[in-house]
Amino acid sequence: MRSLRLAGRLAARNLRRRPGQALLLLLTLTIATGVLGVAMSLYGSADQPWNRVWRATDGFHVSFNVYHPPDEPGDRALVERLRRRASQLTRAPEVVGVGGPWTHLYGRIQIAGGDEDLTAELRDPGPYQVDQPLVTAGQWLGQGDGVVLESGLAATLDAAPGDTVTLQGRPFPVRGVAMTVSRGRFPLSRPAQVWVTPQTGRRLRQLGMTPEGFELQVRLADPADAAAFADAHRSLEVSEGSSSLIAFLETWQHRRAESHSDIDILAGTLFAVGTLIAILTIATAAVLIAGRMAAQIRQVGTLKAVGVTPRQVVLVLLVEHLAIAAAATAIGLGIGRLLAPRIAATSVTLLGTPEPPPLTWTRVAIVAAVAFAVVLLGTVRPALRGIRQSTLRSLVSGARPPRRPGRLARLVANLGVPLPGVLGLRSAWRRPGRLLTNAAGLTLGVAMIVVALALRDSLELLAHTPPEPGHAASDAAVTVLYDQIRAIILGTAGLLLLLGTINAVIVATFAARDAARNHAVLRALGATPRQTVTALIVSQLGACAIAVVAGIPLGLGLWSLMDGGDLPPVRLPAALLLLAVAVPVAFAGIVGVPARLLARQPVAPLLAYE
Amino acid sequence: MNQVIEARGLVRRYPAEGSPIRAVDGVDLTVEAGETVSVMGPSGCGKSTLLHLLGGLERPDAGELYLGGQRVDGLSETQWAVLRRGSVGFVFQAFHLVDELTAVENVELPVLLLGGSRRDARRRAMELLERLGVAERAGHLPDRLSGGERQRVAVARALINQPLVVLADEPTGNLDSRATGEILRLFAELREARQALLIVTHDARVASTAHRLLTMRDGAIVAQTRLGAGTSAAAVLASLADLGGEG
Repeated sequence: MRSLRLAGRLAARNLRRRPGQALLLLLTLTIATGVLGVAMSLYGSADQPWNRVWRATDGFHVSFNVYHPPDEPGDRALVERLRRRASQLTRAPEVVGVGGPWTHLYGRIQIAGGDEDLTAELRDPGPYQVDQPLVTAGQWLGQGDGVVLESGLAATLDAAPGDTVTLQGRPFPVRGVAMTVSRGRFPLSRPAQVWVTPQTGRRLRQLGMTPEGFELQVRLADPADAAAFADAHRSLEVSEGSSSLIAFLETWQHRRAESHSDIDILAGTLFAVGTLIAILTIATAAVLIAGRMAAQIRQVGTLKAVGVTPRQVVLVLLVEHLAIAAAATAIGLGIGRLLAPRIAATSVTLLGTPEPPPLTWTRVAIVAAVAFAVVLLGTVRPALRGIRQSTLRSLVSGARPPRRPGRLARLVANLGVPLPGVLGLRSAWRRPGRLLTNAAGLTLGVAMIVVALALRDSLELLAHTPPEPGHAASDAAVTVLYDQIRAIILGTAGLLLLLGTINAVIVATFAARDAARNHAVLRALGATPRQTVTALIVSQLGACAIAVVAGIPLGLGLWSLMDGGDLPPVRLPAALLLLAVAVPVAFAGIVGVPARLLARQPVAPLLAYE
Repeated sequence: MNQVIEARGLVRRYPAEGSPIRAVDGVDLTVEAGETVSVMGPSGCGKSTLLHLLGGLERPDAGELYLGGQRVDGLSETQWAVLRRGSVGFVFQAFHLVDELTAVENVELPVLLLGGSRRDARRRAMELLERLGVAERAGHLPDRLSGGERQRVAVARALINQPLVVLADEPTGNLDSRATGEILRLFAELREARQALLIVTHDARVASTAHRLLTMRDGAIVAQTRLGAGTSAAAVLASLADLGGEG
């Protein structure tokens, strides 16, 4: 306990003394936890409004659907047999309410100058024990002609009670607009849906609408028994055979999960993006922490020299970084709860106003686990290295000693490479650990940019896929979804670029700081500032070259895993070629900034630099 | 014109709370070719700062500085770097070897910076390391060398281009008597080659090998003593004692 208090005090002091580095780590972690937080809050944000409509309409617990394609005559006898057999559901002891069976007719409705598939559900005026649609405008079915529009269809048509809609080429008055959980909202859920009386249904049949099946709904004494009830009656289901007819049972939970697929796609995309960013953040944190450890080796030595145990040294580092991870988790979850409703509100499937789901321990744990894993993976290795190093060595050295010269370095020297280049290559070659740490961070950055480019390219191809004839309205809705995903991808690309840049800035800053004393010595011996800047850039370009060589195939590999063959093939050679050139140039530019700043300073103060 | 270094009214101030500290306070100094000058004085009196100013590692706030007859106090960082390659050799108190280069690579670096061939640089570096008794450590990185070995590598690096002037800050501070003797013999050869040497030291025995002894206090040269051949360390200590300085 005393160890923990001491570690806490030292960690708090470190955070106060180096707020910039702490903030940088917090920023990179928060980008990852923020995206994950949004994804977490988005998952299920449409459940509460769906539940409200479900309760208000006495929504079903189990539904039995029979459907046969409208352009096939179907097996009339089979449909009638299923209708009779379905009555066994209504006699089950668990059932407390029955809705239907309601016949469905297939036809066409005119939308924006074109035709869309339509299902007309035949209902008597009611009321019903199950699924009493919630009227949001006008009236429910009654005496006389007229249709009630599903609310998504009404929104797409911009139709209100009193207007007319064209079914089978004939105008029908709109009696009302209603909402139900039995159907997804048009246009993402197709076909479009209207409710009509049997009397209007007869007229529609005369106009060419054909039966396409029916739906029977039941409510149970306990809605939680829905899955067991459905399982007990699976014998009713038909899904193969010579007929195209299908019959299936569906629980209210399944319907809810399927009802807002656009939000789930967005959440899934964000979750994948958050995970990718978290992986990149591991590299950022590792570079940041390793660089800081190199500067703090002396402090580790001092702590050990005054009797602090190696365990306590690790504790100080862990407490410090875990505190940052905890802050990033809290901020990330906060961002999620703030942004998720705004993103969900753009959904075309939503029934009402979105609400983030309750903040469960599981959701907190997932985001926290990612943040904590990042700092643990980033902290443990450099911390253990500092501990294993002897106390005396920690006190006298500013950084890990370089490795012995290698054959490659000698070869480069013999090839007549200019002196600054030789010095830079030697520096990189003799610190392979640092080179690989930097390369790992940059590699992930390059890979993520490749993934973002591939996603963007693939979405562009999808967006330009010719629409299916007769589905102009629903294709427009899908385009909205693509636009949202594209915005996320572009935002992700921006975040990845930001993280990659932060990574590069961290690498460049620590590299310049690390090289400051050596370069001051070189200048004291007669190297010009330009030569030292060149040496530093060359020393870092090795890591960048590794990143480009490894990052592009890694990114393409990740993309092929994510793609799964569902998306159109990407055409990236030009973009990849540009990336292979742009990344080293940009990185050289970033490294050059701190190198030039150091080169402008007089030599003497830099010689005393630690 | 035999003056290698000429400084007139050199001033270097450091910012501090209240008034700035004058680390070097109006120093006038000349060093002739082939002359060895020792600088002694208490810690913090400005000896190292003076050395840095003379080698262009720091900029004076006031005063004029000439090196080999050329006015150099207004040179840019790049001009100073190019000038140092052939004209100034540094031996730092903290050695300041490039820790990513082996001992021999450190020593040959000034030759390569001056445009010499790698083969020639390696040959001359090995000769000097041989003379200083560290040739067998040539392939080792600095962190694998003892303090004395590092010191000798640093001395070899300062001498390899036979510069106009060698500026040495405690060049024997980490050496035993035998190694100190070898360094002093090398320094004696500088005089014969008409190279100037300015040594900051606390060691009266090293100081006594110089032609002149400068004593500094509070950033200023408070005494100059011409030392004859065979001046003993005891005599140097005595002259310092007269001034109330440290030896």
